Amino acid sequence: MPPLREPVARLIGLATVAAYAVLIAWLFITQPRSVVEAVGGMSATLGTYQIDQQAFKDGLRFFRNDQFAEARAAFGRADPAGRDATTQFYIAYAYYRDGWRRTHSDDALFAEGVKAVDQAIALAPNHRLDVDDPDLLMRNADELKAELQDGLTRDASDFNPVRLFRSRK
Amino acid sequence: MKPIVEACLLPLLFLTVIWLAALRPGGPVMLVIPSVGALVMAMVLLSLFVRSGTLAPDRLMHQSRSALANSNGLVLLLCAAFASAAVINLVIPDDGVPALIGWAVLVSLLMQALAIAPDRQRLLRGLLVTFGAAFTLKFVILAAVSAPAESRTARILQLLFDGLTLGSISQRPPHPLEGYLALVTLVLYFIGLAMLPSARRRIEWVEQGVVVSGDRRPATGD
Repeated sequence: MPPLREPVARLIGLATVAAYAVLIAWLFITQPRSVVEAVGGMSATLGTYQIDQQAFKDGLRFFRNDQFAEARAAFGRADPAGRDATTQFYIAYAYYRDGWRRTHSDDALFAEGVKAVDQAIALAPNHRLDVDDPDLLMRNADELKAELQDGLTRDASDFNPVRLFRSRK
Repeated sequence: MKPIVEACLLPLLFLTVIWLAALRPGGPVMLVIPSVGALVMAMVLLSLFVRSGTLAPDRLMHQSRSALANSNGLVLLLCAAFASAAVINLVIPDDGVPALIGWAVLVSLLMQALAIAPDRQRLLRGLLVTFGAAFTLKFVILAAVSAPAESRTARILQLLFDGLTLGSISQRPPHPLEGYLALVTLVLYFIGLAMLPSARRRIEWVEQGVVVSGDRRPATGD
């Protein structure tokens, strides 16, 4: 193979370095926690990311049977890179329903729910997410986030006895 | 220096150093951006490289070179600067008294090196010792002090130590991979430094009673 001419070698070098620098800058911005997240994030950026539909269906089935831990596991399997807004919304909803109690809410689960719904909002186009599911009483990510944050807030209304008659959404 | 080394190999090596040095597998964030202090010290380090002849900027950017070659040179300079900042950020402890001591010692050593004006070989040797010592402090000594204690006695000793030092010495327990990654990063960084285009050594000789200097003595033919 003949050696590369100098300008060609320099041009190839410049292009390669630019591509590598862009990749590193992208890693710094997105801060993926694992290789799976990094690859998923990259494919989502390129518009080729797809969730595992079978795992998503499993997740929905568990969710509707009130098996929330199983539902979260299945949704997590469906969207391992955490790049699908709808799946993240359902994960947040599973945390909400799992942590909801008539007298109080489970702060740890609600906090995880806020993280997941924040991720869903960040991923949604124009940061607005509506999920068309008749089984849900909250079909908007902002509504779900407000409900989760309300559960984490401590104020005088927490001691209102009328709260005992509220229902899970 | 071959164009492919200058345009491709060395910038890629330094870019790899940048992200490897920023990687924190067990940390709160996966990739840490170098601090402003590290960037300032990297500039000092770069000036040291130039003064010692470790890096000859005129061999990377000069009016006699083409625009494309100068672009490659600029990219290499930027990559070397950011890699230096990333490596400084890597070897300095994260917080507390060790971070303060680390910064004080590093600044003193670099200022001392500026005053001494060492040559390329001495500077690289000195940096190897400085970064090696900082690596040992952070990834061997502090990691051992901060690692979760396994036995009850060790836990008591650790609690006593934390109590006596008001918790100002202990650091975030590093991920088992972090030390190895840091070592690989330092090795790559020093390989990159050694490969940078260095200043040609000027020699002097007497020619017909006059002292002449140059890169090399011309052949006299006798």
